[in-house]
Amino acid sequence: MSDLAMSDLAMSGFAARIAAYLTHRMPKAEGLAVDELARIYGGSSQETYRLRARWREHGEAVEKRLILRRDAPAGLVVAERDLEFNVYRALAGQGVPIPEAHFLELDPVWLDRPFFIMDLCTGRPGDPFASPDPYDGHDEAIARQFWTHLGTLAAIDHRAVGLAGLRNGEAEGGFWSRELGRWEGILNEGEAVIEPIVRGAIRWLRGNPPPEPAKPAVVHGDYRSGNFLFTPDGRLSAILDWEMCHIGDPLEDAAWAIDPFWPITRHLPLEDGLSAWEAASGLSADREALDWWRLFAAVKACAIWTTAEAAVQSGESHEMIVALSGIRAGHFHRKQILALLRERGAIA
Amino acid sequence: MRLTIEASLRRIVDLLRDEVGPEVQTPFLAQSVRMAGGLLTICANWVDDAAAIRVEENAAIRKVLAEASVSLDGDLSARLRAASLSSDPGLRISQLDAENHRLRMLLVEAHGVAERGEGASPQVLDAAIWRLLEEIELKRAQREQAHPYGQ
Repeated sequence: MSDLAMSDLAMSGFAARIAAYLTHRMPKAEGLAVDELARIYGGSSQETYRLRARWREHGEAVEKRLILRRDAPAGLVVAERDLEFNVYRALAGQGVPIPEAHFLELDPVWLDRPFFIMDLCTGRPGDPFASPDPYDGHDEAIARQFWTHLGTLAAIDHRAVGLAGLRNGEAEGGFWSRELGRWEGILNEGEAVIEPIVRGAIRWLRGNPPPEPAKPAVVHGDYRSGNFLFTPDGRLSAILDWEMCHIGDPLEDAAWAIDPFWPITRHLPLEDGLSAWEAASGLSADREALDWWRLFAAVKACAIWTTAEAAVQSGESHEMIVALSGIRAGHFHRKQILALLRERGAIA
Repeated sequence: MRLTIEASLRRIVDLLRDEVGPEVQTPFLAQSVRMAGGLLTICANWVDDAAAIRVEENAAIRKVLAEASVSLDGDLSARLRAASLSSDPGLRISQLDAENHRLRMLLVEAHGVAERGEGASPQVLDAAIWRLLEEIELKRAQREQAHPYGQ
C-alpha cells in the first residue's frame, strides 16, 4: 500500500511506530503515546506529518505538537537526508524564525526511510496559488518580514554557525557558475526531450556572468510564498522547507522570491522589499546582478519541473502535486525565460 | 458514436470531482483527488492532437535545420542537412518524441554556433531559431487555465 492511500488502520500502526521511536530517544518519558497523526498536504520533496505526543516525565504530564519529515521515495529535488535537520540546528538562535529540531534518524528500521522530528510551529501557510489575499489582510506586513528575515539570513557567517559542510561551503566565489552547472547537469540527466529555450537561457547566463557577491551567504534555495507560516496577528512565525539550502549569492533567494510563479511582489513593491533586505543584511542589492539571478531562477525552476516529470514517469513518485508540477509548470517558466531574454535584447 | 479517450478521461474527471471527492474525509487525500482531476484534464486536452502537434513540430524544426545547413559549414552543416531530409520513424508518441529530441539537440547545437557569430548571416539564423522556439511554445501551451495550480 502506498503512503498516499494510508488507511486509518495503517495510520494507527504508523503512530505506534513513531511512539516507539520517541520512547527510544527519550528514555525518561513514561507511557508515551502518539495521536492526532495526519499527513500535511504540500510537502512535495518530503512527506510531512503532524502529530501530538503525550507522556509523563518526573511525574508531570507533558504534551508536544510535533512535525515529522520523512524522505519521500522521490520528489521534486533529491534532498540530502540530513541537510535540513542540520540547517535547523545551525540556524537556531540566529534571528531567523525556524522550528526547533529534535531528532534525526537515518536508520530505516524505525519508519522505513530516514526522517527527522521538529516542533510544530504556530501559524499556517498562505497558499499563493489559491487566494489573492493569502495572508488574511496582513500581506504587506508579512512581505516586509519576509524580506527582513532574508536579509538576516544573508548576514549570517555560515562558517561560524557550522554550515561550511553545505554545498559550496568552502568556496569563496564563482557561485553563479557552480549553481548554473549544477542545474544544467540535472537537466542533462532528467530531460527526455531537450528544451532549447532553457538551453538558450543557460548560454546567455554563461556569457553574461553577474559580479561576485559581497560575501558568501546561506541560501535557503526555495525561499518563497508558501514556504513559511504566519499567525493571525500578522507575524511571520517560521520559515520552512530548507532541503535545497546551500552557500551562494544571497541574491539567488531574492530572485526566487520574486519569480512570477509565486511573487512576493504581489504584496510589497520590489524596491520596498529590497530596502528591508538591505537594512537587515547590511549589504547592497545589486539590481543588475538580481536581473541575472531572475533568469537563473527560471532555469532552475525548469530543472526542478524536469526532475518532477522524471520521478512520476519512473513511478518513483505517486504524488499528484509532483505530477502536476512536472506536466504544467515548465511551460510557465519557458514563457518567463522568453520574456526575460527579450528584455535583455537576446531575442531580437 | 464512439467513446474517445478524451471523453473517457473527462468523465473520470467528473466522477472524481462530483462523486469521489466529496466522500474523501482526509484533507491530504482530498487535495490529491482534486489534483488528479486536474492532471486528467490536462491529459484529456493533450490526447487528440498529440501526434499532430509533434509531426508538425518536427517538420518545422527540419525546415529551420535546412536553412541552418546552408548558413553553417563543415560536419555540422552535413549533419543538419541529413536531419532536414529525414522523416519521422513512426506515429507512436514515443517515436515522435525521440525524433523530436534528436532534432531539438541539433537545433540547440546550431543555435549556439549562430550565437557565436559563426557562418553566413548568423543573426538571421539566430532570429529564425528563436521565432521557431516561440511558435513551438505557443502551440504546446496548455489551454485550460492561466496558472498551473489555479482554481
